[in-house]
Amino acid sequence: MKQRECSHRIGWFTMLVILGVAALWFVPEVELFGMQLARVDIFSELRQNADDEVVEYEADIERLEQELASMVEVDSVVMVDTLPVLPPARYEWLVERETVAPRRVLHSSDLEAVANRLSVAIEDFDTLEHSRLDNLVERLALGQGLRIAFMGDSFVEGDILTSDLRAELQELFGGRGVGFVACDIPFATVRKSVKRNSSGWSAYSVMKPKSAPQDVADKFFVSGYLAKGGVGATTRWNSTTAFETLDSCTRARVLLYSKDTSLVRVAINDSVVNEVEVAGDDRVREIYVEAPLIEALTITVLDGEVLCYGASMEGDCGVTVDNFSVRSNNGHAIFGTGATVNRQIDEFLGYDLVVLQYGLNIMQQGQRKYTNYRQQLCNMIAYAERCFPNAVILVLGVSDRWVKGESGGYVPIGSVDALTAHQRAAADSTNVAFWNTSLAMEALGGMPQFVSNGWAANDYTHINFAGGKRIARALASAIVTPVYETLKAKEDEEQRRKEAEERLRAEVQQRFELQSQRGIEIAVEQEIIHAEVEETVSDVVAEEE
Amino acid sequence: MQEFLMFETPLWPRILQLLEYNPAEPLTLTTGFFLVAFMLFGLVYTLVKGRARLRTLYVVLVSLYFYYKLSGVYILLLLFVAISDYLIGRCVGGRREKGSGTAWFVALSVVINVAILVYFKATNFFVDVVNNLYGSGTLDIESVVVPAGVSFFVFQSIAYVVDIARGTIAPLRRFSDYLFLLSFFPKMFLGPLVKAKDFIPQIEAEKVVVTREDFGRAISLIVGGLVKYAIIAKAVGTLFVSPAFAGELGDSGLVALVAIYGFTLQIYCDFSGYSDIAQGVALVMGFRLPDNFNAPYHSATITEFWRRWHISLSTWLKDYLYISLGGNRKGAFRTYFNLVITMFLGGLWHGVGMTFILWGLLHGVALALHKVWLSIVPKAKAVGADMKPLWRVLGTLFTFHIVAFGWLLFTAEDMGVVESMLSRIAYNFSFGDFGAMVESSWVALLLMVVGYLMHLTSRNFDETLRRVVVRVGVVGQWLLVVAVIWLVMQSNLMLEAATGVAGGLPMYAAF
Repeated sequence: MKQRECSHRIGWFTMLVILGVAALWFVPEVELFGMQLARVDIFSELRQNADDEVVEYEADIERLEQELASMVEVDSVVMVDTLPVLPPARYEWLVERETVAPRRVLHSSDLEAVANRLSVAIEDFDTLEHSRLDNLVERLALGQGLRIAFMGDSFVEGDILTSDLRAELQELFGGRGVGFVACDIPFATVRKSVKRNSSGWSAYSVMKPKSAPQDVADKFFVSGYLAKGGVGATTRWNSTTAFETLDSCTRARVLLYSKDTSLVRVAINDSVVNEVEVAGDDRVREIYVEAPLIEALTITVLDGEVLCYGASMEGDCGVTVDNFSVRSNNGHAIFGTGATVNRQIDEFLGYDLVVLQYGLNIMQQGQRKYTNYRQQLCNMIAYAERCFPNAVILVLGVSDRWVKGESGGYVPIGSVDALTAHQRAAADSTNVAFWNTSLAMEALGGMPQFVSNGWAANDYTHINFAGGKRIARALASAIVTPVYETLKAKEDEEQRRKEAEERLRAEVQQRFELQSQRGIEIAVEQEIIHAEVEETVSDVVAEEE
Repeated sequence: MQEFLMFETPLWPRILQLLEYNPAEPLTLTTGFFLVAFMLFGLVYTLVKGRARLRTLYVVLVSLYFYYKLSGVYILLLLFVAISDYLIGRCVGGRREKGSGTAWFVALSVVINVAILVYFKATNFFVDVVNNLYGSGTLDIESVVVPAGVSFFVFQSIAYVVDIARGTIAPLRRFSDYLFLLSFFPKMFLGPLVKAKDFIPQIEAEKVVVTREDFGRAISLIVGGLVKYAIIAKAVGTLFVSPAFAGELGDSGLVALVAIYGFTLQIYCDFSGYSDIAQGVALVMGFRLPDNFNAPYHSATITEFWRRWHISLSTWLKDYLYISLGGNRKGAFRTYFNLVITMFLGGLWHGVGMTFILWGLLHGVALALHKVWLSIVPKAKAVGADMKPLWRVLGTLFTFHIVAFGWLLFTAEDMGVVESMLSRIAYNFSFGDFGAMVESSWVALLLMVVGYLMHLTSRNFDETLRRVVVRVGVVGQWLLVVAVIWLVMQSNLMLEAATGVAGGLPMYAAF
């Protein structure tokens, strides 16, 4: 039999394979044997990529002031009885539960190990005698917990660095849950710290405001992503156990915007269900849930149309860390977010610390002049301060980065120190806090060591989870050390006070004992005298007899 | 659907950007880029495959482009080696015909090629040593990037000249044919090295023939290779072996031991999987590359292991290094010495460093001792197939452990890691850690079990897979390939989610 010759198959067989793999894009993102199937995209390299079309926002602090001023006015109007009462901003759903986790009582010994890690300290440029950071440290020492908005670029995408920072701080100060997670985003990502399944939404990014409808474009939160959904749009957030403290949440919040009245179904753990009618209003709204155990949270739009920012899963107290990474963002995207939106959400969430981690994308080999960026950064800080008035702002210096040299080997990009200096100067002139990331990385061996340890990708630019963990440990130590010192000082003080008190008490006791000793001696003397007197008396009596 | 069609606009600049050399995205046979490029290549290949010279020219041009995409400017190095050895080969051939000596020309080729290899392999090491001794900055030389696959084309080229000198082959007439031998893209990155004697007739053949059997076999090689390389090796390495070596899974001796077994599987799956893919890709084009692995952990002796592991390299070392040193023709002592020195140089080739030197010496000494054993124990057998079953099992277990602990030397960054792993196994070993280990790493351990089972039954497994793949026909083959690619992509995404790093190169790309 003559064998058929098959080498002509190469082209069309490969073409069919490509078409087949492309079609796999439509396989739903379901869960199978406890593993989350992700969407596969053979054309991912051809997709719209934020890297190429970076929108330049201009800082407009004046507009921001006006916006915020008008917001305050609206709020003050509420108090006037003659005007119609505004619909509520917050819808509460409290499922009955027995215990609420108590605030943690901290001892310096709990923090000693982390505080003693060799690390780079936070530089505080606040000019107040008792700075905002000092205040924050004191509150932490009292066990009041902390909410962090960690704003950054692709460096922390997928919860790199922040997941370990969160885990470490929650371990020390209490607190549970992954914090804020967007409702839907316009490209595929995977996060091990949370599972999210969403469908039926149109997702928009603050980096591409042109592709977003007008009613979306002016409502971005610093999270950077906003999902618009009509009837049937649904998202399910599920906690994972990738870190010890991620599960067993007891509180959840959904942040959304509903111009006209809409009906949203909220389900806890796919079993307990509630329907919330959100009255139409021009403010961000919060659906707030408390339950004994929240593993999964699902929202479904039943009627109307909502813009959903995302949801947050938390514990009763302690630390919550929200990762707001936006690819290719140099930080300027904050100018594209709605000032009132940020302020309203801050009123719900109450940020204590806002971290600004940017700059990786603007570095160019050998460039050392970043005066424009410094000015921009000052504006970003000003913007963030106004949106989050109660938070301490912490600017992170740019991370270490190496690039391919002319002869092929990797060399330092040569602009890390310069950009870091400009970032520090911006923090200095705006009186906020600063942390030198590249110095912390250098202490760990610098980028070449990160790459050879498998802590960073071979591009000598992006760290991975293992590298993020190292930097997170250093940053956690920088945050914890002053708290440790405060506690230690307090405990030492307490100890000294106790010792003094004890000394005093001992002295009093001693004096008392001395006195009573004397008392006894007197008594004995008196008794002897008594006895002698009696004896004498009886002798005399006997003699007389 | 709307989302699916969301591509960059305009698309052309991005496509042009993708076509350029980018060190961050090297071209391997498992990238989406290669899949699309191979489709385009295949559509034209169908038209030219029947005409030898056109086909050769076409494949050479595509191979050169792929090498550029992989290594950028180092394509000039490849061309330089090709030109120099093509010319030297012709001189050697000419002088042989006339009956005059060829030694000087062979030496020239060897010196050029070895110089290239030493420059790229040893410069960084040398600079490091000097700077460590005399303070950093003494030698202000930027670190040298080793061009992809440089060892493979350099070895291939030396073999070609030596073969001509030995009279095994005649020098090639056409430069394009020589370039084909050197740069053929399926084997360009990681081999296998081919024997010129077997490969040249395939280049010169007027027609390429791919039977349905061949096509099915190629698909089964690619599919099996993908499972080994892109799923088992990657997952076991990322989820278990690397963290265990880094001490992130605690200091249990059991974990350390299982991690060594894990790496033993990982390096086999990684390298043989990639070799299988290369073989499969070549086969659909009608070219037969030699087997590079033959169930190496079935070996009952260390000698047998080197006949089954990285066969093309160990054959090369035997033919061109061991035999050139005199092989076994210069007495017993020289034989042992030659074995040790061959393996020592083989170790050094993997990297200039204490761990690789010790690894090479371990294998060299083991091979020599086995030769001694064979000569003093008359009943001893060289390979497992000749042994009684019990001896064979014992021998296999013994050999496996020598090889596995050899891999510990091979993969450890420095001797500190070796020490720490060994002391964990020696002083902190407890089967009580089993439960905790399974609980924390069950996915990786399950894949390890699957991988070892596949290897244990590999003869039957590969054969059955091949037969099934041939029988299911082209539609079944299509479904199978799509399904496996989907699995690979899922596994990549999961690993990315677990570690934050995407992709990665075959391990042997470092050599």
